[in-house]
Amino acid sequence: MCLENVLLNKNLKFEEAINIAKKGTHCGMCRIDFLETGLCSAGKKNGFIAYWPQGRMEIVNALNSGKVKPTKKLFEIVESCTFCGICDKQCNFTTQLRPQKVHEALKEYVQNLDQSEFQEIAEDDKLKKLQEIVGEKWATNDPIIIASYRRNIVNPDKELNFYAVMPENSKELSEVIKFANKNNLQYMARGGGTLFAMVSSTVMKNAMGLEDGIIIDLLRMKKLEINPEDLTATVGAGITAFELQKEAYKHGLRANVAEAGAHICANLASTGICTTWGNTYGWASDNYTDVELVDEEGNIFNHGEMEIKNPYSVEHGLTSLKLSPPGILTEAMVKLHPIFEGEEAVLVPFDNLKDALQLALKLAKQDIGLSLAVLSRKYLAEFLSPTPQIAKDFDYIAENYMKLNYVVDVICHKNDKKIVEDMVDFTIDKEMMKTLILGCPKLASLKGSEFLKILSEEENPCKAIFAGPMRNHLEKGLEANPENISKIYDEDLRDFFKKIYSKPQMTDVVWLHAFRIFPSRLMRQRMFIPRGGVMWATEKIITDFHDMLKETGEKYNLENALGYISFLEHGKFAVLEYDYYFDHTDPSISKNVNDAVIESLERTLMMDGIISDLHFYFKGLHRKEHILYPIPKAINDEEQILFRELIGSVLGGE
Amino acid sequence: MVKFLTEEWIEFSKKYMHEKLDPEKDLRNISTSLLNVIEHVPPDDSIMNFYLELQDGKLTDFVVSSGDTFEKEAVYEIRGSYGTFKSIIRGDTNMALALLKNRLKLVKGSKLKALKLIKPLDGVISSLRKITDEFED
Repeated sequence: MCLENVLLNKNLKFEEAINIAKKGTHCGMCRIDFLETGLCSAGKKNGFIAYWPQGRMEIVNALNSGKVKPTKKLFEIVESCTFCGICDKQCNFTTQLRPQKVHEALKEYVQNLDQSEFQEIAEDDKLKKLQEIVGEKWATNDPIIIASYRRNIVNPDKELNFYAVMPENSKELSEVIKFANKNNLQYMARGGGTLFAMVSSTVMKNAMGLEDGIIIDLLRMKKLEINPEDLTATVGAGITAFELQKEAYKHGLRANVAEAGAHICANLASTGICTTWGNTYGWASDNYTDVELVDEEGNIFNHGEMEIKNPYSVEHGLTSLKLSPPGILTEAMVKLHPIFEGEEAVLVPFDNLKDALQLALKLAKQDIGLSLAVLSRKYLAEFLSPTPQIAKDFDYIAENYMKLNYVVDVICHKNDKKIVEDMVDFTIDKEMMKTLILGCPKLASLKGSEFLKILSEEENPCKAIFAGPMRNHLEKGLEANPENISKIYDEDLRDFFKKIYSKPQMTDVVWLHAFRIFPSRLMRQRMFIPRGGVMWATEKIITDFHDMLKETGEKYNLENALGYISFLEHGKFAVLEYDYYFDHTDPSISKNVNDAVIESLERTLMMDGIISDLHFYFKGLHRKEHILYPIPKAINDEEQILFRELIGSVLGGE
Repeated sequence: MVKFLTEEWIEFSKKYMHEKLDPEKDLRNISTSLLNVIEHVPPDDSIMNFYLELQDGKLTDFVVSSGDTFEKEAVYEIRGSYGTFKSIIRGDTNMALALLKNRLKLVKGSKLKALKLIKPLDGVISSLRKITDEFED
């Protein structure tokens, strides 16, 4: 009985499971213990993505599309789930999905399978050799396990003739690579897989995915040591941002990390950990003191060795595109930074980008803000809101009633907070942020209310509501408390979420900036593709770039918004992320996404002073000065023709 | 259809390129030479080379040899594994992608100029694809 037949029988339970599975986006949040629930025991024990909630959902997608047939491994995978419900809590916080319903349906489907319906896996000598290297349990070619890597390293259009291995250390990885070379197998390593997930629904899947060969899953490399005496941490390739930050915080220290589920090493190697904390902590090689890599010949080396070629210099210009890192990063000695007593969060709202940018640039040039960014209304709405609908309503209210379109978002020393406050008319303080986090469902429900209509008639609605006479009304009206926000969750999860939102860190804006558990909400039930770059930080370059990305998004009818603008090098350079959102389950949208990606890249190259994001991908281990200088110039007509040919070959564009 | 890197393959390749590729339209009248060094050739994990030379878009030389030295000087030299070349010829990937993914290494010649050859080289690869159906395991 195949899954399609089950569907033909109009089994609602399966229909619901398939709908949930399709909406899964491989955000990876089910693999970190960010709500202190503990981790999925099946995933923790068995490693491969197939045993984690996100992988089971992908297996259902593959079965449903007929891409894979059941194997005996599927039975083992299903049996490994204890139905503890942890995944429902984690996934619901992030995406509002219920993965356990998918597992239940999958279990029922497997239990009804006839023995004859299981696909036999043929003996394979190469697999045996890989198993000798990493241990029998940690190498497989089972199509069910391989299917779980679709859309997060395996191009979804490809057949599933891959091996998947999980080496425990650099030595095993080195042997895997030597074996792959000798046997002419391609290979690619994955950390958290979110970058692959984001590109898998776009034209970039051809450029970034693995076409065949060996998937190297680095999750087992779990070394994590904090070295408080020299303010560093030794981090294995399986360690996530959240895990590092949690350990660092125990020592009063902080790491510069990307979103919670991102793997530190993979993130370093790909984009160099580009965050709002870069204002103080820097970017690229600023983030580490040494790294260990395994090169394409299987040699293990460190950047600290004297004999190696200069590992920091980079190519520039149009042809400097790179689609792989300079080796597989297995361990990094990352820098940690002291957490200062009395760190503060201060947000300054604006109705227009120009004013927000002027303030942020002024602060960056004065080195104010450990973390400093201009955030869009969209980010604020998505991060704070526990459901997509609340985010949508929050966004609408902020735009139409509050005229709150941007915030300058500063995490700083308490003395610097005073400087910021002296520079502006009013701010959103941390108490108000707490009110907004806990009260956003109620705020969203006020859409169309008399209160908001009156507010919108104020000359400066933001000032009235955050620092004026209406603040008290708002605070009272929102009834912001853990109990009220928990009411938006399914009944069986309300007690749990009441406890979660009662934890001080859930409304501590500094903690939230450091642990970054909210950004995964950008991937809830739909996908986004970030566009952007690093640029010389003049107002004109930044706004022209922003406007170009907006215009391109509009042209292709994509929901689009600025993500953030942050700064490097005392405000000399800016980092800008602009996002195109789309429904990854709708194949008809992919052409628009692809065209927007290619056009925005081409137009970026035609602008002075900007390095496109695609041109700094996989250069994260280099010195930022080598990446940033010389400041890029727009390409000429001849190079534009070459770009079109190159992009046609690389991305398959027209 | 013939086996990759055999004598027969050279003859078929030359014939096909002479007959089917238009020097102007397909090969843009380019004049250049390219040495492809193929590593990890099965079954002995050996090295082989195939060298091709074009004058005004016409194939003037096409040679296959074994060993890690090659007598002719090429404008461009590319190194990669047998598996990578196999993937390129089968159409699973292409030269530009393989270069950007570091699976092919340009060890001699300008990258910018090499990438300008992508289109005409795609034509050469497509023609090799049409005559190649067997590879070493």
